[in-house]
Amino acid sequence: MATNEETLMWVEKYRPKCLDEVVGLKDIVESLKAFMKKPKTMPHLMLAGIPGTGKTTIALAIAHELYGANWKNFTLELNASDERGIDTVRDRIKDFSRYSRSGFGDIPFALIILDECDQMTGPAQTALRRIMEIGSRTSRFILICNQSSKIIEPIQSRCAIFRFSRVDLQAMKDQLQCIAKKENISLLPEATEKIADYAEGDLRHAINALQTASAYKEGIVDEKTVLLVIGEASPMLVQKMIRKALYGDFIDARKTMYDIIGNFGFSGSEIIRQVQREIFKMSDLTPEQKADLSGLIGEYDYRLTQGANSDIQLSALLAQFSKFGKNLEENYAEK
Amino acid sequence: MLRNEILWVEKYRPKKIQDIIGNEEAKATFAEWLQNKHHNKKAVLLYGPPGVGKTALVNASAKEYDFTIIEMNASDTRSEKAVNAVAKPATSYKALDNFSGTTKTRGNMLFLDEVDGIAGNQDRGGVSAIIKIVEESLVPVIMAANDPDISKLRPLKKVCLLVRFQQVRIPLIIALLQKICLLEHVKAEFEALERIAKNSRGDVRSAINDLQSLSEQNHTLTLQDTMMLRSRNKALSMDETLRGFFTAESIGEASRLLSYSNVNYDDFLLSVSDNLPKRYIDPNELAKAYNLVSQADVFRGRIGTENWHLLKYFYNELAKAASVNNVSYKPFEFISPPIRIITLFWTKGKRTMLNNICLKIGAQCHVSKETAKNDFIPFIKVILQKKKSSGLVDWLKFTQEEVDFLAKMSRF
Repeated sequence: MATNEETLMWVEKYRPKCLDEVVGLKDIVESLKAFMKKPKTMPHLMLAGIPGTGKTTIALAIAHELYGANWKNFTLELNASDERGIDTVRDRIKDFSRYSRSGFGDIPFALIILDECDQMTGPAQTALRRIMEIGSRTSRFILICNQSSKIIEPIQSRCAIFRFSRVDLQAMKDQLQCIAKKENISLLPEATEKIADYAEGDLRHAINALQTASAYKEGIVDEKTVLLVIGEASPMLVQKMIRKALYGDFIDARKTMYDIIGNFGFSGSEIIRQVQREIFKMSDLTPEQKADLSGLIGEYDYRLTQGANSDIQLSALLAQFSKFGKNLEENYAEK
Repeated sequence: MLRNEILWVEKYRPKKIQDIIGNEEAKATFAEWLQNKHHNKKAVLLYGPPGVGKTALVNASAKEYDFTIIEMNASDTRSEKAVNAVAKPATSYKALDNFSGTTKTRGNMLFLDEVDGIAGNQDRGGVSAIIKIVEESLVPVIMAANDPDISKLRPLKKVCLLVRFQQVRIPLIIALLQKICLLEHVKAEFEALERIAKNSRGDVRSAINDLQSLSEQNHTLTLQDTMMLRSRNKALSMDETLRGFFTAESIGEASRLLSYSNVNYDDFLLSVSDNLPKRYIDPNELAKAYNLVSQADVFRGRIGTENWHLLKYFYNELAKAASVNNVSYKPFEFISPPIRIITLFWTKGKRTMLNNICLKIGAQCHVSKETAKNDFIPFIKVILQKKKSSGLVDWLKFTQEEVDFLAKMSRF
């Protein structure tokens, strides 16, 4: 294999280029292929589902199917979460959607792929709604989002919605084995199991983990290596912050929180999301305790969306954790 | 209560010259001038900052020396015509009432208060009319002004004896406030009175007003109560507001303080959050207080930039956080400036670097910055560490600096 090929991130290297290469997702692919036969009938599309289930892949595959190798000339791909303001919508998207490409080949429209568009602001979505209506003669939109509920209804009603569920465990394992084979790696079954387990239905996560594990040892990926990778990739600082808080050391927990915010620029809601995930991974908490903590997290997650300042909501959550930890301790002492 | 139905500045207006505190020299000069009919100047101009007793001195002396005051102040029109209409008759006869012998009045005394307020256009010719009256007057003419240096008043200074008033010294004001507290049955901390006095900057009237407004609610006055004192010259600083907030003994007190202070709400909220763990050591109290601060933040969010009527709820929630446990308060050093700002300042370079790296990953792998940060950075970091393959670096278009940064970067 050419050295150049080897250097890619595997998630890109093994991303299906056309709809036929997409495995799993049979129903979705079938309906989309029907559109491909008569492209003029293709409506705007909305692809909704959790991360790593193939939404972006499908969108890019559609672009390939429609325009062939030159797809980039006819496609505007925007990551709405990076460029989510109303200015982007009004300037770039509007300009692109207006320009008629009827002169180019059979496809009378250009394609606009908006990734993570549930992160778009309300005003931006409202602006988008109009553009989708006016520009439908000259352009088609593929909107990709995690939660379709965060998209305003007028936009939803203008789209054919496809829902993506988490990647089936067996399909994921097959896919991992398939990649391992192409990379000349012997992927042990327990290792496959561990990766699939860890990825929680997120194929991107699984492939990244596999590629990382393969960097440890030449030619083989075993369970031990996978565990090492999972350890390395887990959010250490978030875990530290949670532990400090639960042990009652609020000041240190908050210091860690500011380390995370300062050094990595994570947003408040992102940190809360990670906290939620880590809590459920902690083996020394009972399911009831996890549920209690999760309730607290939910409350502050909600307030975060209402409030003015994420630092305060996070600090308040950590203070709740400290209280929770202290009461646990006292309960043990009583027993 | 009835005691509040009258302003204390009215109630305790000096009745005699000796009741007026401070400015002994000015008082003596004025009294001497008033009694000495052969003084070479027929008029006197009292000047000095507000609230130091100029008007009070005139009123008190009139009483003491039995003059009838004919007063014109800034609320009256003082054009040439008006001055002539009022002042001329008043100054052109002496003690007519004395014929009856029943009253002891020594006649009229013309008092032109706030002469620096004689307006240019509406009060046309006013100053020259005053000068003419001073020259012809048979009775004492007294003028008062804050600033005698206004150009239009300069002609007046030639015909007047100038008496200068100064700011009243703080100890004198404190003594007066103490006297009033005694009469009004207000229990006041000395420090509180001291703060009021200092805050007044020698203005007795404002000091008395402040005293009344602060002790209106109950008969006690503590230093904390005075924290909300709106300084007439400078705003309450962040530190003062924080101190007042954390030492507040009731929700009402903290809430009032917040409504008086004009610190930036967002900054203040952050500062409160920063300092909360110093105030509440006990995790239960801290959690409770933080919960309230978090609620306050939610209200702050709802206010946004337009719903300012919600501000009272914001105050209320925040004030509740100040008095979760009033007993546990121990003095502490404030953390300032906000931790967030310090943190973000020192780490800006790192974030920018990471941001650029994530953008490069996003461009190649069709993901957003956030996804790149979460789902790619931890793996890429390990891959680069294990396999020093330059291929991946090239493909992602990383610079050497960025590779080094990833290698050194701690895990999140």
